[in-house]
Amino acid sequence: MTGAVFQETTAELRTQSVPLAHLSLELGHLYMEDFEAGPARLREHFAEVRIWADAVRASAARRSKRPRISTCFLVDDYFTRFSTPAELVPMVLAEAERAGLVIDYLARESACAVADRIELAESVTHRLVESPPPGSHGSRPPVSRTGWLANGERTPAGPRSALGEVKGWQPPQETAARNHSIFMDVELWSERDGRRLWSCPFLAAVWQLARLGLLRHLGEPVLVPAQWTGTDFPQDWDRLPPLVRLTDTAAAFSAYRTCTLLPNRFLAVEDAVRLILDQTDVDAGALRQVAERSAAEGMPVPAAVAQRAGYVFYEEPGGFSEAGET
Amino acid sequence: MTAVRGRGARTVLACGEVRTCLLPSLQALDARAAAQLLRLRADVPVRISERPVLHALSPEVLTGVDCRLPTADGSRVRGVGTVTARAALTEGRLLQATACFSLPAAGPDTRRPWGQYLVRPGLVEPFGKLPRQATAAGVLRGAGRGELDLGMISEGLLAQVRRHPLLDRRVPFKSGPTRLRWVAWRTPAGERAALVNFTVAEGGLRTVELRLPEDVPASAAAGLCEDLALHDWLLTTVQHLLDNSRLGAADGPSAVGALYPVVVHLLHLWMPRAHVDPALGHLWDALEDRPGFSRQWENLSRRIRDRLALQAVAVPHQALGTR
Repeated sequence: MTGAVFQETTAELRTQSVPLAHLSLELGHLYMEDFEAGPARLREHFAEVRIWADAVRASAARRSKRPRISTCFLVDDYFTRFSTPAELVPMVLAEAERAGLVIDYLARESACAVADRIELAESVTHRLVESPPPGSHGSRPPVSRTGWLANGERTPAGPRSALGEVKGWQPPQETAARNHSIFMDVELWSERDGRRLWSCPFLAAVWQLARLGLLRHLGEPVLVPAQWTGTDFPQDWDRLPPLVRLTDTAAAFSAYRTCTLLPNRFLAVEDAVRLILDQTDVDAGALRQVAERSAAEGMPVPAAVAQRAGYVFYEEPGGFSEAGET
Repeated sequence: MTAVRGRGARTVLACGEVRTCLLPSLQALDARAAAQLLRLRADVPVRISERPVLHALSPEVLTGVDCRLPTADGSRVRGVGTVTARAALTEGRLLQATACFSLPAAGPDTRRPWGQYLVRPGLVEPFGKLPRQATAAGVLRGAGRGELDLGMISEGLLAQVRRHPLLDRRVPFKSGPTRLRWVAWRTPAGERAALVNFTVAEGGLRTVELRLPEDVPASAAAGLCEDLALHDWLLTTVQHLLDNSRLGAADGPSAVGALYPVVVHLLHLWMPRAHVDPALGHLWDALEDRPGFSRQWENLSRRIRDRLALQAVAVPHQALGTR
């Protein structure tokens, strides 16, 4: 009810807004194998990334004379735990600086699963609305219970004719196919010892939503950056806040658009991320805020969320790509 | 019809279906339990309003559809988009589920990327021009085979809520569910909303036609129709219980036993327009004029109270104790 004298706060829905930059630029994503390859590998990585980061900044400058760009870096502490923040973070920052790059925000990958005791990944699963293949008239379950999400109809399982006739193989069908299908089926999670293990693409989709300022919990912002002023980083990943601000940048962590710089072996993962984003019903209040504010700044965002995420895929620098594919 | 293809395209028709039933629980739920029951999403709160009656409203969930729209004249129009569904619980006792969507006058001839539909929840776009009359009539008639089925979606949500472990799946008395199908014709902003028709059909089916100004959201129409459906269910159910108790003929403890649940569980639920958008509150006036919903309710309650009073005079206390 609006405009009434009497109000009950528990009866209203409110979505708090978050500060927004123009662009969130991800400078890298560190896995254990990268770390094990030593500082030289990071050095090569940042030297390559520097070139593309400059190109992305030049591109952003076409939209705005004074683009607000924040940079971020993600460390995997979810699939494998390695090293310690005290050892790793200074090394990453030093190698970035050597290449002339500044990392404003550092996040832990496990923050995309649970951050500040809020189950972000779980919440996003409740928001999945599968793209309906033609003929869907309301009988499909609204949320995937299988842990898989596809971009079309799967090949029917086995011979299922009641009359016993054996049916031949039928191809899967991409719903939005142009002439021919490119069918994709993405595993969102697996169960191990009764515990749910989120897949890399699913956590990366949550990460994109966070960077796009579209995540809320009961109307409140989540994954709010904690300022890190000290020089000594903790010995344990759990003692590092899920998202830390490392500089005094004025540019907010979340932004209208994202750009992610990645070696080309991540292409399939990010394609899966787009598939997930394309079937996620994000918080309507947050969506409206981003649309209105970006339009007011003369840089309206694309309507579809997946279209707001840009990428640069590059060839892994000299001799390191083989190590990464193991 | 300008800019129908744009992002903020105008809609010309909104439609929905409400299912109303008694919550399968011996005890009515309090606000906390109601919030737990209707928490369809982890990150969106259940809206709780305690005055003037306890009303809990779930977050909205979406169902993707790509199928023929229900049409009364058999015209085949494909629609693609999302249907919103939500559940409501009143006084921890009456459970409702609504599925609804809106339609623009026309849509593109091809299916667009799914993400573009998701950013406009509750909108179903027709391929080409929408046959407005035929679709409205089709929705009120109910979906045919393979047509967009609001009843199936609302029933699905109702079934999901009823399966909640919080419920003991026992009912304090027998009652039937009702269905209310509604369509709202969009009118220019600023015009006054109107109730065009309210029909009580057989088999627990009710149909409602509204005129809804563009500046009033479809969710407000859904709220009004939930309110109408709830009060219609109360009238229907209490009337039915009274009929079965053979109030005129029976006497003694059996009649009291039949009326007991009405007094305990239902009499205090009558609260028209309690949670209706102020822009639509006046639509109740038409129904109060004729047939006079509240008049009928007062009459029913008076009969019950009189009956129980008589019983109390005639029979010693042990009769009331037997429920």
